[in-house]
Amino acid sequence: MEAWQQLRRNFRELWQSFRGNRMGVIGLGLVISALIVAILAPWLTPYSPQQVMRDENGRGLTFAPPAVHPPLGTDDGGHDVWAQLVFGARISLTVGFLAGFIAMFVGSFLGILAGYFGGWLDNLLMRITDVLLVIPDLPLMLVLVATIRQMQLKISPITVLILVIGLLYWTSTARLVRSQVLSIKERQFVARARAIGAGHAHIIRKHILPQVMPLIVANTVLILSTAILIESGLAFLGLGDPTKPSWGTMLNFAFDRNAISNGAWWFYLPPGLAIVWVSLGCVLLGNVLEEMLNPRLSGHHLEGEAHIIKPGEQQ
Amino acid sequence: MYRTLLFGLLVLVLLTACTTSQPSTTETAPSTSPQAPAQPSTSQEPVTLRVGWPGFPDTLNPAYAFLTESYTMFDYIYSTLATESQSGEYVGLLAESWDVSDDGLVWTFKLRPNVRWHNGEPLTAEQVVWNLNAFIQNPDGWVTNSGYVAGFVEARVVDETTIEIETEYPISNMAYRVSFLYIVYPPDFEGFATPAELQNFTNFNAIGSGPFKLASLDKDQRIIILETNGDYFDGHAKIDRVIYQTFDNSDAMIQALKVGDIDLIGEVPDSAFAAVSAFENVKAISLPGRSITELIINSAPADHDPKPNRNPALEDPQVRLAIATAIDKQDLVDVVLQGNGTPGVTIIPPTLGGGFWFNSDIQDVKFDLDEANRILEEAGYVKGSDGVRAKGNVRLEMRLQYASDQPNYPRTAGMIANWLAQIGIKATPESVDPDSLVVATNPNADYDLVIWGWGADPDPDFMLSVMTSSQYVEGGWSDSGYSNPEYDRLYLEQQKAIEPEERQKIVWKMQEMVFNDRPYIVLWYGNILQAYRSDHFTGFIESLLGIDSFQSLMNVEPVR
Repeated sequence: MEAWQQLRRNFRELWQSFRGNRMGVIGLGLVISALIVAILAPWLTPYSPQQVMRDENGRGLTFAPPAVHPPLGTDDGGHDVWAQLVFGARISLTVGFLAGFIAMFVGSFLGILAGYFGGWLDNLLMRITDVLLVIPDLPLMLVLVATIRQMQLKISPITVLILVIGLLYWTSTARLVRSQVLSIKERQFVARARAIGAGHAHIIRKHILPQVMPLIVANTVLILSTAILIESGLAFLGLGDPTKPSWGTMLNFAFDRNAISNGAWWFYLPPGLAIVWVSLGCVLLGNVLEEMLNPRLSGHHLEGEAHIIKPGEQQ
Repeated sequence: MYRTLLFGLLVLVLLTACTTSQPSTTETAPSTSPQAPAQPSTSQEPVTLRVGWPGFPDTLNPAYAFLTESYTMFDYIYSTLATESQSGEYVGLLAESWDVSDDGLVWTFKLRPNVRWHNGEPLTAEQVVWNLNAFIQNPDGWVTNSGYVAGFVEARVVDETTIEIETEYPISNMAYRVSFLYIVYPPDFEGFATPAELQNFTNFNAIGSGPFKLASLDKDQRIIILETNGDYFDGHAKIDRVIYQTFDNSDAMIQALKVGDIDLIGEVPDSAFAAVSAFENVKAISLPGRSITELIINSAPADHDPKPNRNPALEDPQVRLAIATAIDKQDLVDVVLQGNGTPGVTIIPPTLGGGFWFNSDIQDVKFDLDEANRILEEAGYVKGSDGVRAKGNVRLEMRLQYASDQPNYPRTAGMIANWLAQIGIKATPESVDPDSLVVATNPNADYDLVIWGWGADPDPDFMLSVMTSSQYVEGGWSDSGYSNPEYDRLYLEQQKAIEPEERQKIVWKMQEMVFNDRPYIVLWYGNILQAYRSDHFTGFIESLLGIDSFQSLMNVEPVR
């Protein structure tokens, strides 16, 4: 109990100092505003993302500039770009968040196992991590997504994206958590707990987890931005679901359907900026959290204790 | 039937054929337009037409070529006995005239005298006959030619300028057939022992007898330079050189045309056509073409091996009718093609033979979602709580796949899925690479609905052959698996019907059968979209053959 109370206290202190950090607050603001847009999507636009806009003769209104069809014009398929953008936020953020959380769970779990138990388990898990680290992410994911799709499992294309990103992107979390656990498990309070007969599960739950939790939180925020970027990348390469466009899918259509030659900036800029918006938010937030939670990052390595002994000087 | 000779063909064949446009359509897209030299006067600098295109030929060997780009080059470099003219008739090229015996079994071609190869040697009747007999005797090697010589028995030299072709049965479309038999320089092709050796030969230093000579071909830079053949037997072009340059990105290609770095684009994407039309000093051309895009419904026979894997509801004609009723083809043309096409009806595009072969009596199903809902309701498919209809344990839930290499298919799939959702059919769009799609459709019969397209030949024979059951074998052209003995019988009959009106009647009947049975729902006939710099060159011939056809390029001159 006490360790968890300590954790709560830690978070409260964290929030106190976080409020004073401008970058962190901006990052949080960016992420939360995107979340609000995604949640409120149906109330922000009268159109569905699939609906084809029509001119007075009933013909599809394609590549209409914002002046003709406010607020953001239409795309090559005659869909309202603003509707695509706000509904796309749902897909992009859902994939980003779920994949990010899966990566966090897998990474933390394996990191704690490897760090805490050590020995052959550590070796095995870390070698698997190494293998995954050396394979380039994007090509591997491309191949996996394409292959899984062909197997005709009854899962939606978006679920496939979430699983593939989540189950491949846990390596950095695992390494980070493992190294932290390695140091924590040698501390006295763990040794004492063990001495009074606490089991592994108890020690991990009550002592290790609270200690690594802040690290996991900060890391998760960073992984979120990566997951959203990867989702956009895969969707841009045509692996999204054309009926449920995400921001990456929008860019994919803009690229394939010559938005640039048409001068349709309203088609490719908004999804691009939206991706920047969310990933910038996650990166700012994540960096600030990481800095606050990891004291070693809070000062410059040349500041403070560094002291060079000059010849002849007395120690 | 001539396609059945393609027996040994790999999946690859159908694949590339489908994705680029079927191999025998030489008239498709690549574009060429010349660029006038900076100084308008009579400078010594060669007049060069620079063309941008999205692909690059993988071979210049007509024995085994499946990319449209290869055929574009063949038309410039090689000659054929006859060729299709801008107006759609067949005119002599190497042959001055031709005639058939009374029993229809012996064709006599009178050759032009004094034709020379690009290396200066005379082109002889023996060489033409060597070519024809090679195609006839070695169908495993000359795979792409073999279909066009089906039913040929032998070619013979009669005298220096006359040859004969003997056939097994009367052939109704001889001129069309020989228009795809490119005559190659025999010394380059005589030394191959096996079909594989012949097919691996890329002939990137091709010698032909066509209006343009291959000056250089750079595979790495992907640049082809052609020079005008000064010895050509039928006049010579007013430009000196044609340069083909490959662009990986269509926007980059369009920008190059806009700023005048290239003079011609043979294939403008439909989504960019309006933008290109608005460029200054650029003329954009949209003409009805020969391509069709269709929704394929898995129609493989139930006893097909392997067993078809599909939603069993697709076997119900009423479900097919409902799907057809729920597709607004005009809307697809307006939105997906940005207006550059015509709603589709039958498998024969209205441009073939100037409309002679297109069955104009067929009334297309009218788009009506309420009617489609009613048809399904009446057929016993009841809407469930999730909006998906079902009859017993058959839910109307299906895959809607499309080839991943066509930029307008995802939009098409999205719109169709949206309409189908409104009549209680849940179709899941899925992008599939063309290789896998070939195998899924034929021979695996493992699909529900597929969006795909064909480039039709000038003659209806090819499109009709796609629906014959004998093509539904591995390597064959059929993808729907449609099987109808009566249709197969008519197909053979139309091949032997020498009288055009008689053949027309059969061809119309066949279109009607396919239309009613719906292995294909033909979505649209696409236009040929091309553009050139009107301030650099003039004289392009606008026709079905494209402004980059060799006839057109021979007529082009720089703007002074």
